[in-house]
Amino acid sequence: MTQPIEKIETPKGERFIIPIGPQHPALKEPGHFEFTVDGETVKDATVRLGYVHRGIEKATESRNYIQNLYLLERICGICSHTHAMTYSLGVEKLAGVEAPPRAQAIRVIVAELERIHSHMLWLGVAAHEAGFDTLFMYSWRDRETVMDLLELLSGNRVNYSANVLGGVKFDITPEQAGDVLKGLDFLEGRNRHYLDVVSNDALLLGRIRGVGVMTQADAERLGAIGPTARASGVALDVRIDAPYIAYKDFQPALITETAGDLEARFKVRVREIEESIRLIRLLLEHLPEGELVARMPRRIPAGEAISRVEAPRGEAFYFIKSNGTDTPARVKVRTPTIFNMATVLSLAKGLQLADMPMILVGIDPCFSCNDRMVTVREAERAETWTWNELREHGIKVYQR
Amino acid sequence: MSNLVDQITAGLKTWARVNSPWVIHFNSGSCNGCDIEILATLTPRYDLERFGVKLQGSPRHADVLVCTGPVTRQARERLIRIYEQMPEPKFVVAVGSCAVSGGVFEGCYNVMGGIDRVIPVHAFIPGCPPRPEAIIDGVVKLLSSLQSPAPVQPIMGPDGGKA
Amino acid sequence: MTTQERLQQAAELLAPWTKSTATPEDVRLDVVIDAADLGAAVAALHGARWGYLTAITGLDDGPDAGGLQALYHFIGGAAVVTLRVSLPYDNPTVPSVCGVLASASFFERELAEMFGVTVVDTPNPDRLFLPEDWPDGAYPLRKDYTDVPAPQAD
Ligand code: SF4
Repeated sequence: MTQPIEKIETPKGERFIIPIGPQHPALKEPGHFEFTVDGETVKDATVRLGYVHRGIEKATESRNYIQNLYLLERICGICSHTHAMTYSLGVEKLAGVEAPPRAQAIRVIVAELERIHSHMLWLGVAAHEAGFDTLFMYSWRDRETVMDLLELLSGNRVNYSANVLGGVKFDITPEQAGDVLKGLDFLEGRNRHYLDVVSNDALLLGRIRGVGVMTQADAERLGAIGPTARASGVALDVRIDAPYIAYKDFQPALITETAGDLEARFKVRVREIEESIRLIRLLLEHLPEGELVARMPRRIPAGEAISRVEAPRGEAFYFIKSNGTDTPARVKVRTPTIFNMATVLSLAKGLQLADMPMILVGIDPCFSCNDRMVTVREAERAETWTWNELREHGIKVYQR
Repeated sequence: MSNLVDQITAGLKTWARVNSPWVIHFNSGSCNGCDIEILATLTPRYDLERFGVKLQGSPRHADVLVCTGPVTRQARERLIRIYEQMPEPKFVVAVGSCAVSGGVFEGCYNVMGGIDRVIPVHAFIPGCPPRPEAIIDGVVKLLSSLQSPAPVQPIMGPDGGKA
Repeated sequence: MTTQERLQQAAELLAPWTKSTATPEDVRLDVVIDAADLGAAVAALHGARWGYLTAITGLDDGPDAGGLQALYHFIGGAAVVTLRVSLPYDNPTVPSVCGVLASASFFERELAEMFGVTVVDTPNPDRLFLPEDWPDGAYPLRKDYTDVPAPQAD
């Protein structure tokens, strides 16, 4: 995003625009990419978001605090707990209430389970983009274990509704804790295998080693966050920089890599799964006793609160303003992907078109719908590719 | 004679469609929750492919359109376009509370409501998100209804696409 | 550096343009500045490598209360510094900070389309989230915005 991006006019000659999408790059929205290419080299990249823009921020202003909890949880089905938790933390700050220790620990356990599920989902999708469907199937098969655990605790596989304002909705019984530990043992073994695959599998490395390198300086300048930044050696993790709830007592280790390429982004995420497993075990062992919910007033005192949480994809940021009623005056949500999107677009210039799917995937935009969709842009000489065509193009180039 | 040929080919087509439906998935504004569950149906635990279902990218080859999410203003036109590009006969499945009715997003300024506000829908699968089993069940029910003398009829929402 | 030292440093960096400050939480510092000074203030933070811009929040409290505001949130570790700019309803304008912080482009586009704030010299003034057929002059996150007519059926 450093250069001004002009409306692309296709000049007579070799340049083509290849609009792609809308695929699913952002938490809030899928986007429509436009790549200007010269032969195989990308000259420019832009994105148009908003296909999934629903107007949630406005809607929060006409619903009360409790209704908003459920609305905001549905900003993203992959990191639903993150959104509900960030929002709850903000509202609790305004009300001057702190969730009881046991609730804090349960929030963290669910958040880390969510991180595992999200990273495994990403691993599968990224492998699929690379044409490595075996890994896709394996990681999604194993991911079902996490989904089972989440369901065991919350009763739902996605959108677990763990949070209520002032605490959490469900307890973790000793039997459940035992089941969770068993599941984690299985996942740990599988995860070791994945670390081996992403570090040693020659075919996969051919597509990820040295590809899409973002130096530490670039990552800082462009404002990368989350695992994308950590893969470039930037020490940035809200759980560590500004610990909240139970992270104050149970610190995760900072996971970074230095290479800054796609391989590093794979490794950071796989190693983060390992770290999450360690953290959950620790918390289950030291689960504090006590209440699950602190009493919240229905009207939230006037004021402004900022809350930040490390989502699986990076920092989620909420700004909540209350005017003393039971409805917020403003809720601003900044999701992590929008941040990383900008970095990836700057990164794209000068790289090969064949690497684009992997590079876009590397930031872990929200996924779900890879085999999506298709539009024809009616500009002369502009070609439209579906995401799938681009993916196949990438695979074909690397088969040579 | 030609009557008989027609009958046989029609029977054959239904047989093929029921045994191996090709599916396209479109997210018109969902939160991803439904989408990841749809993707999960394809993976080893649920393995939708054992019913011959194949998820693929082009509407021109698809029998069934699986929709998730409420319809946003931007997505509306695309949704209609995909629907129109699909060959007849075509079937639409709305997955998730949002696709059924707009769900929690009903009333947001950029949301037009459920899928049936824009295109006709044959099967509704409620849930937020529905479990993979429910999604499979919905698709299978739709397909098996094709074999019966009275297959499911599409339903169009109140404003018939003019929303 | 502790969080308090960071906040202290930020306060000193921003002192030349500061009109007033507030500390809503101990890890936060709110600094009210003029829109015209935004570029210089952001450059000062950036020049000292103080944190990163995490979000731009538009705020419409209605004409009777705080009016229209733009909030630039910077984060350094646990510290959050907010630059607060008041804007008139009549032609609200802020200078772009993309010259200093390339990553602000998306945020500025969002601010522009949601609140009708003109961001002068922003590299890409296109809409980001709203549809192409969105009526001009309708800014959904303004308080006076209620709803737009549904698009025409085709
Ligand atoms: S039904 Fe629920 S899970 Fe599905 S898109 Fe809507 S909010 Fe998300």
